[in-house]
Amino acid sequence: MSRYFYYHIVLVSLLNLMLFVPHILIRYRYQGAVTSMALAVVIGTAMTFMYTYIMGKFPGLGMPEILDKFLPKMVVKPIMVFMAAMWIIGPSIALVSYAVLINRFINPDTSPVMVLILLSGVCIYAATRSTLTLAFLVEMGMLINFPIILFILLKAVRSDAINWDAIRTVANYWTQMPNLQSVGAASYIFTGYVSFAIYNRLMPPNIRIRHRWIIPISGSAILLLTFFVPIGFHGTEAVENYLYVWSVTADSLMMNYGFIERVIFMFLIMYLNLTLIYTASGWHQAIEFLKALSNSYKPSVDDVPMKRNGFIYSTVIALLTVIYLYYVNEKTTFAISGYWLSFRMFIEIGTVVTMFIFARKGTNSS
Amino acid sequence: MRLKGAAVVLSLLLMSTALSGCGFKDIDKRFFVVAMGIDLPDEGKGFKVTLRLAVPSPKTEPGSAMSQIETIQSQTIAEAVRLAKSHVDKELDFGHCKIFVLGEKLIKQGYNDVLEWVTRRRDVQSVSYFAIGRPDAATIVKVQPPTERYPGNALFLAFGTDGTESSYSMTAYAFDFGRRAEEQGLDPVLPLIRKEKAMENYYITRIALLDKSKMVMLLTPQETQLYNQIANHFGKSTVRSKVDNNNMVIAANSVRSHYDIVSGENGTHTLRLKLRVSGIIEEAPPGVYDQDWGKLEAGFSEQTAAEIKTMLEKIQKAGVDPFGFGLRYRATHAGSPKTWEAWQQIYPELQFDIRVKIHIEGTGLVR
Repeated sequence: MSRYFYYHIVLVSLLNLMLFVPHILIRYRYQGAVTSMALAVVIGTAMTFMYTYIMGKFPGLGMPEILDKFLPKMVVKPIMVFMAAMWIIGPSIALVSYAVLINRFINPDTSPVMVLILLSGVCIYAATRSTLTLAFLVEMGMLINFPIILFILLKAVRSDAINWDAIRTVANYWTQMPNLQSVGAASYIFTGYVSFAIYNRLMPPNIRIRHRWIIPISGSAILLLTFFVPIGFHGTEAVENYLYVWSVTADSLMMNYGFIERVIFMFLIMYLNLTLIYTASGWHQAIEFLKALSNSYKPSVDDVPMKRNGFIYSTVIALLTVIYLYYVNEKTTFAISGYWLSFRMFIEIGTVVTMFIFARKGTNSS
Repeated sequence: MRLKGAAVVLSLLLMSTALSGCGFKDIDKRFFVVAMGIDLPDEGKGFKVTLRLAVPSPKTEPGSAMSQIETIQSQTIAEAVRLAKSHVDKELDFGHCKIFVLGEKLIKQGYNDVLEWVTRRRDVQSVSYFAIGRPDAATIVKVQPPTERYPGNALFLAFGTDGTESSYSMTAYAFDFGRRAEEQGLDPVLPLIRKEKAMENYYITRIALLDKSKMVMLLTPQETQLYNQIANHFGKSTVRSKVDNNNMVIAANSVRSHYDIVSGENGTHTLRLKLRVSGIIEEAPPGVYDQDWGKLEAGFSEQTAAEIKTMLEKIQKAGVDPFGFGLRYRATHAGSPKTWEAWQQIYPELQFDIRVKIHIEGTGLVR
């Protein structure tokens, strides 16, 4: 069962590109991005380890149920709404930026709003399935997409076009102090564990997440790739100019004898899959948080037939996302994404520490 | 349940309305731009843009490639491209435009506007090729080589590693041009395409060195080859030496190079460049087998080292850094803006210590 945990970790860490994490880190490449990344590895790993400990203490329980145990209803409900909002923002930013990406690179003649409506249609359908179905969806998605993404990443690292001097130059700026936005952005790589706020309901008792040492290693590896590969391709200066820095980097690769020469299209399709899975999974959790508001709510991981509430909530979320794209431009999305990433880090630290205290209390009293 | 089915059908129908009138145009209603040339206009300001449009043909045999040429003059490149659309009957598609030729006059005046347009535009491939056209870009784009199988193919094959690989030319990709144009300590290089009068063909034997805004010097074919050996470790190249008025040439099998910047006493800096080439003698006077190979190797090494030193000093005098010595200095020194400032002081005074080691593997099939 541990593998379901790792699917979420890897999914989120690969998805960082859609939330402009590389863009933010590269902006601060001379002002402490390197140290921020090191700090983020420490924070991220510590959070993940604490969270797995908490989950082990409450097998089969989601975050709403755990909070219910320790806090009065009046306190839990606002927290649920807040958590749901946090869960909507991340995936929705990813989906919006993907819709814009399709407009830029695949079909410039279709409006991004239209693309987003179609994408959210898919996500509404997927997000309203049961928790169990989504766990399988994530597994299948990762098994299909991960090898190809790994191939693209390795191809990029092994390319002749990469300039290692540029990478070393930026790595030399390791004496700068870390800064908040970079730490927030970099620590996002490790944030896959929070998905278990809901998915923990699937975990049977007496489960231990094994091979946890993989987390800091894979996380740092993906973080380093995310940050340094674009610098290797576009140099220390020009790399800052690109808004969709990884799309342009994928476009700088070539597969002469592949069935398609330009790697970018393969890259975009892989990330389309990842974004859809991530959004479906994220919205699903937001819906579960919102469902937990009602007093008669009983958590269930495999509810057939689906509750009508789920549809209503997800449609509202999708509508908000579409309205957001309609009114907000790219520049604001970049800024919002940056603030959200740092804000999210504090919320997560707060949540994990609180729940850690509950977990200790829970074991002491029983 | 029936209501739900109806809702699904209805929503699908609603979505399908969005699909009509979208931007999808059939392939027979598109003109594929295969090469684009940008020049200074004959008179006035702005740009002269020359597009080579592929005319679709059912045949792909040598000589069957047909293309249409459009030349437009305008204040900006973006406007010129829009104007070109009104000259033709089909939608222009840049998705297959793999080569951008910049006129020699334009590049001597400044290339930043062009690069700006190229990097901003979404459908320009980052892996497209860049080159300089002599006498101008329009002439190069208009060339129709008789052996071409489909439009633009000859130029595509001239660059990259698919077709010919010559040690006298190099490939400059768009993303590489973009990075070098801004990098501190690494300057752009572009190959130069030349057309001889009355010959429908391309000649690519020299590369041009650029600074951050314009072209500053041209390398000779011999220097171009040395550049390729040092910067790109280009095998399939040659090394020449002259012993007692006899030319000897080694065909290189492997080329390796390494350089670092060492600081000497009293603030001088030296670039220590090591080049190792090993190969087989391809052209030499008879009896070379019985000569002392060690002596021959030393002769080769000495002459090549002298050539490299002359070239590097020439490049240094021109104030450009196509090899990325400055970037190497930044990569090996403390990360701070001061490092770059220090390098700008160091480079004009930089000493060169060239150590070439040529290894003769054999003398070919004869003695």
